[in-house]
Amino acid sequence: MMQMLYVAAAAAAEVIAPIAYPADRWDRIFDIWIALAVVIYLIVAIPIIYFLVRYRYKEGENEIGADEHGNMGLEILWTIIPTIIVIYLAFQGATIYTAQRTAPPDSLVIRADGMMWAWQFDYPNGKSTIGNLTVPVDKPVKLELTSRDVIHSFYVPAAKTMEDAVPGRVTNLWFQFNETGEFISFCREYCGTAHAYMNATINVVTQEEYDEWVKSS
Amino acid sequence: MQEVVATPYFRASFREWLFTTDHKKIAILYAMTSLLFFSVAGIMGMVIRLELSQPGIQYVTPDQYNYLLTGHGAVMLLWWAIAFWGAFSNFLIPILIGARDVAFPRLNQLSYWFFFSASVLVLITLIPSQHIKMMWTGYPPFSLHYNAGPTGLYVLIVLLIAGSTLGGGVNFITTVLRMRAKGITLGNTNLMIHGLMSSIVVQLVGVPAFVGAVVMLFLDKYIGTGFFNPAAGGDPVLYQHLFWFYSHPAVYVMILPAFGVFSEVLSTFSQKPIFGRAAMIWAIWAIALLGFMVWAHHMFTSGMPHWVRMFMSFTTVLIAVPTGVKIFNWVATLHKGAIRFPTPMLFTLGGIFMFLIGGLTGIPLALPAFDVNVHDSAFVVGHFHYVLGMAMTLGAFSGVYYWYPKVTGRMYPESIGKLSFWLVLIGSNVLYFAMMMVGIDGMPRRYVDYPDINEWELLNQISSVGAVILALGVILTFVAWIKGLSGPVAPRNPWGSQSLEWTIPSPPPPQNFESFPVEVPEGWTPYAYHKRPANSE
Repeated sequence: MMQMLYVAAAAAAEVIAPIAYPADRWDRIFDIWIALAVVIYLIVAIPIIYFLVRYRYKEGENEIGADEHGNMGLEILWTIIPTIIVIYLAFQGATIYTAQRTAPPDSLVIRADGMMWAWQFDYPNGKSTIGNLTVPVDKPVKLELTSRDVIHSFYVPAAKTMEDAVPGRVTNLWFQFNETGEFISFCREYCGTAHAYMNATINVVTQEEYDEWVKSS
Repeated sequence: MQEVVATPYFRASFREWLFTTDHKKIAILYAMTSLLFFSVAGIMGMVIRLELSQPGIQYVTPDQYNYLLTGHGAVMLLWWAIAFWGAFSNFLIPILIGARDVAFPRLNQLSYWFFFSASVLVLITLIPSQHIKMMWTGYPPFSLHYNAGPTGLYVLIVLLIAGSTLGGGVNFITTVLRMRAKGITLGNTNLMIHGLMSSIVVQLVGVPAFVGAVVMLFLDKYIGTGFFNPAAGGDPVLYQHLFWFYSHPAVYVMILPAFGVFSEVLSTFSQKPIFGRAAMIWAIWAIALLGFMVWAHHMFTSGMPHWVRMFMSFTTVLIAVPTGVKIFNWVATLHKGAIRFPTPMLFTLGGIFMFLIGGLTGIPLALPAFDVNVHDSAFVVGHFHYVLGMAMTLGAFSGVYYWYPKVTGRMYPESIGKLSFWLVLIGSNVLYFAMMMVGIDGMPRRYVDYPDINEWELLNQISSVGAVILALGVILTFVAWIKGLSGPVAPRNPWGSQSLEWTIPSPPPPQNFESFPVEVPEGWTPYAYHKRPANSE
């Protein structure tokens, strides 16, 4: 519900950047879906309710149903139209997904190693932190993910994106924060006793603060 | 002619129950075992909801919670959503097609005892040192880790229940193909038969993949093979492919018989043939077939290549088409009907409405663009509880209420049934809708605890209140079913259905039909509401 209000407000106030990209892409597919879902729900639910009332059993008046068996035209109609709708959705989703998954070429690349039960972040200059990811604002960041032990997953709620961290391979996700502050990330693949406590804090700071911080030990 | 047969069940000795090969008694054995474990898993669910009502850890340790989650999931899926339909298959298939029993009664008995053995092992996991904590999905490398509990026990449980499934599959398919009455074809038989058959065929084709996956887990953990170990050249994602190749079609196994129930109940209580019967049969089998082509939509964030995600997204959205066809035909069946609303009809209508919501929330999950924000969140949990916790369960309850007079020879108390329906419907909606909302807001699943942010605590509390209402509703249904056993004697065909099972006494005598072979008249259909033969009362 918050979603819908936010998006409506954003639409009304022209384009407002989300807290972090690519969250706006997700908002778009959410809007497309929710509109379709509500319409389809009503198209099905309203006739059901109407029929339940209109065609109730009434002693003496309506005791046996009509001799209807089927209608080929209807079958064709309600096969073809939903097919078109879902294929449209899949194509739209595919376009949006490409944007969500393609890190911009100038991304700052940081490595994230999952383990039971924390994240280690390795920066390009060799600096390393645990449980705390510091990134500059207004700059795309590409996280290269892997795991030391079992499958974990790095979820950034503000950016509405996630990807699994799998031992033996390197996966990735990208995001860009548009405001400074402290944001949470969750582990989103069950990994045992402290799975719920494997949060990392994302510290978004100005570019100058980041440059200074990453040089320090 | 009204014939009250001295109920064979309550007079039968313990020894007879132990060694029975009668499909009706085996059905009751499956039903009782399934309902017992449904209750156990339900209680586990209630404890989970209790713990989640507030941030922080109040009632159980994280390890106990992880066991409860594993148990709730595995038991609800295997012992309720799949096994309960085994009770339906056993009881109904012979009497719907005019047969005296199933094709292989002794194999039928053996299938039940495999199931019983698996059930005993599940109870063993209640012992703390035997807690299985790998979740029902059992992904390696975690399931190979000591933190996951006795993986071998889980593997053995799966192998035993697979044995039961495969035996049952062979049995029922042979029965339907070989033992139909003269005049009953696959084209004019009950849609319930198609619902059960499609489910059973999918089981037969898919279960071996599940068995393979867990056997490889066992070998990796106890023998030292490296199927899922990257250090040995293996890949953890391989397990996911093998597991979901079965476990996705498995969800259709759980819902297709409910679709069969919806068709039977809607037709009977509209006093109209099911609309578009040929399309309905086509749609059920299309769902069963397509169901095998979509498994990787459970793995959109797993690291697999982009093109696989796109391919699986397209195949997954296509399943909405035959599913939609079924829903539209149900709506059309109501058109110009003469509709009555006893308890089975309420549960069926509720099931259809809930499946509509469940299906509509499944469509976005078919899109990686959407899934990337909600994978492994409470939204997914809400979605599958709409289709499983609600549509399947409401369908199962509807089926029990519907065939209750046939199975027991008695009528359940209608007012308790109706009250139970409303509590279950309202409770479920409150519980699972709040869950979807908190999931969209970012709350992960399989979390014993969550930070105190946004309205997460409020939404979780709302969910937990819904769970209590739901539990009360379920308890009331159990009360209705138990009270009904000493209720008024039921007539042979209390619903005025035209289907074959209502032509024999309630409960059916040992041989089901008076004489064999059973023959149905020319142009017979179980939905002959306009060709009233002498069957109607």
